[in-house]
Amino acid sequence: MAQRVLICDDAIFMRTMIADILTGAGYEVVGEAESGLQAVERYKSLLPDIVTMDIVMPDMGGIDAVKAIIATHPDAKILMCSAMGQQALVVEAIQAGARDFVVKPFQPARVLEAVQRVLAG
Amino acid sequence: MTDARRARYVALFAAESRTLLAGARRALAAWTDAPGDRAPADELFRTLHTIKGMAASLEYHAVAELAHATETDLVAVRDGGEPVARRWLLQLEAAFDQIALACEASATGDGVSAEGEQANAPATRAARVVRVDLERLDALFDDLGGLVTARQELERHAERDTLSPVARAAQGMARRLDTLQDRILHVRLAPLAEVFERVPPIVRDLARQLGKEVTVQVHGDDLEVDRAVLDQLAEPLIHLLRNAVDHGLESPEVRRGLGKRPAGAIQLRARRERDSVVLELSDDGRGIDRNAVAARAVAQGILDADATLNDDGLLALLARPGFSTATAVTDVSGRGVGLDVVVSRLHELGASLALTTVPGRGTTFGIRLPTRLGIVRALVASIGEERYVMPLTHVAEFLPWEPDAVRQVDGRAVIDLRGESIPVLDLRRLLLYRGEAPPTRRPALVFEANGQRVALLADAIHGQVDAVVQPLDRPRGTPRWITGATVLDNGRPALLLDLASVV
Repeated sequence: MAQRVLICDDAIFMRTMIADILTGAGYEVVGEAESGLQAVERYKSLLPDIVTMDIVMPDMGGIDAVKAIIATHPDAKILMCSAMGQQALVVEAIQAGARDFVVKPFQPARVLEAVQRVLAG
Repeated sequence: MTDARRARYVALFAAESRTLLAGARRALAAWTDAPGDRAPADELFRTLHTIKGMAASLEYHAVAELAHATETDLVAVRDGGEPVARRWLLQLEAAFDQIALACEASATGDGVSAEGEQANAPATRAARVVRVDLERLDALFDDLGGLVTARQELERHAERDTLSPVARAAQGMARRLDTLQDRILHVRLAPLAEVFERVPPIVRDLARQLGKEVTVQVHGDDLEVDRAVLDQLAEPLIHLLRNAVDHGLESPEVRRGLGKRPAGAIQLRARRERDSVVLELSDDGRGIDRNAVAARAVAQGILDADATLNDDGLLALLARPGFSTATAVTDVSGRGVGLDVVVSRLHELGASLALTTVPGRGTTFGIRLPTRLGIVRALVASIGEERYVMPLTHVAEFLPWEPDAVRQVDGRAVIDLRGESIPVLDLRRLLLYRGEAPPTRRPALVFEANGQRVALLADAIHGQVDAVVQPLDRPRGTPRWITGATVLDNGRPALLLDLASVV
C-alpha cells in the first residue's frame, strides 16, 4: 500500500508542488494543513506515515506543531521544509523531534531522498 | 518540470501572491494605526517569506531577492525593540508595492516555453503596471456617468437637424465616449481565478470534515468580471459549494453501493454568454429530493397537493426564507440549505440563479453574472409624471395596448399574444401609484425570463438610454426588483426596476 503523507504549508503553491513530487513517486497525499494548529489536528485524525512541515505558518508555527505532535505521538515521522537562512530554526525543529529537513526551493530528487530516509529511519 | 506543470505553478504563484499582497496591504494599514502591535508585523513577515519561497521555486530571482531583503529589514525592525517610525512604514509600503509589481511582471512575462526571454521581460513590464485604488476608479466612473448623461442631452438637441455641424460633432463625440466607456469598464475587470483558486481547497477541506471523498475541477477561471461583482461572489459561491458537499454528495459507502465512484465530483465552470458570464456549479450526488420538497411545501400550505414541480418551481420554493430540506443538521451548513440568502445576495449583484437537478445524478446551479456592472442599456417608461428605467435584457417586445384586449382568467388579467395567454401586470399597481387616472391607450412591455412571459403596462414609453446605475440605500421593505437609481438626461432621478425577478 502507498505510504500516506500529510502536507503542511500555508501556501497552496508549495503544497501543490510537494504533492506533485510525492504523488509522482507513488505516495498518497491523505491531507493538507495550512497552519500549525491544523497540522496537529490533521495528524491526530489521519495518522499519516510521514508529515512534511513548513516552519513559518500562521496560528502556530511549524516548530510548535512538531512539539505538539511529538508530545502525543513520539514516533511521528516529520520532515521539515525550510527556506535558506533558517538553519537555526531547523536545528530547533530537529531537537523538537523532526527527523530531517529539505530546503526550498525544492528539488524533487532531494525531497524524495529525504522522505525515503525519514520513512526508513 | 514540464511546461504544463510550470504553467500551473505560475498561475498558482500569480493568484496566491496577489491574495497575500492584498492581505499585506491591510496589515500595513493596521500596523500604521497601531505601531506597537506585533500581529501585523508577523503577517507581513509570513507574506514575504511565502513569496520568497514561491519565487525561488520558479527561479524568479529578482522577486526572491527583493522579498528576502525586505524580510531581513522587517525582522530587524520588528525585533529591534525600537518604536516603529512612520517614515520607515512608508518605505516598507513602497517595498511591498515593488514586490507586487515584480510578482505581476514575472508571472505575466513567464512565457513557459520561451524562458530565454524571461530575463528582459520583467523589468520592461514592471514599468508599465500601475496599481489604482478602486475608489479613484469609481470617481472616474462617476465622471463618465455625467458625460453619458450630457451626451444624451446633446443627442436630443442634435436630432432636430441631423445634418448640422453640431449633430456631426455630437456623433463623433458619442463614438469616442463609447470607446472611453468600454476602456474604463475594462479597467475594472478582474479574473475569476481570484475566487476560483480558493474553491478546491475549501471543497476538499469540507469533504474531509464530513467524511466524504471528492474531486474538484475548475474551468474558465481566466474570464474576467467586474471587480465589484467578483468581491461579492465568493460568499454565495462558497455557500453553494457547502451545500453541494454536505447535502449533494453521498458518503463513499453509499456511493459504492450505488455503483458510483466513491469520490464525488464537483465542477465549477465559467463561460461567456453574450453580455454575461455564466458560472455552473455541479455535483454528481443524489440530486434534490423533489418529493420531499413538495411534501414540505404542501404541509406549509404554499403548494397545491396536486401541483407538479419543475426545476424552476423547485428553486423558487427552496429560495423562500427559512425553507429547508436538510433532514439532519450538520456542522458545515448549519440549519438548512439557506438558499434564500444565496439568491438575495446574487440579486444584489444583478446576478440570477437557475437550478437543474436529476435524482441520483446530481445538481447543477447556474449563476448568470453581469459583466458590465454600472451601465445598462435600458428603456424609460412612465407612470403619470414619474419615470422609471428598466434594463433591456429581458424585454422581448413591446405592444400598443388596447384596453379591451385584456381578459380575466381565473381572476387574473391576461392578454393574448399570438395565441398564447400571458399574465398582465400594471406598473401602477406594482408601484402603488395613486395619481391621476391612466391614459386610455397604454403600451405593454413583454418581459421574458426563465421561459415565462409577463406583459407590463406603463402609461408611456420614452425610448432607450444608457443608464448609469448608482447603488441604492435600501430602506427595509424595498421590493427586491427595485435594484438601483440613475439620473436621466433631464437631470431628474429615476429608479431602476429589474422586472425579470417579478416574472
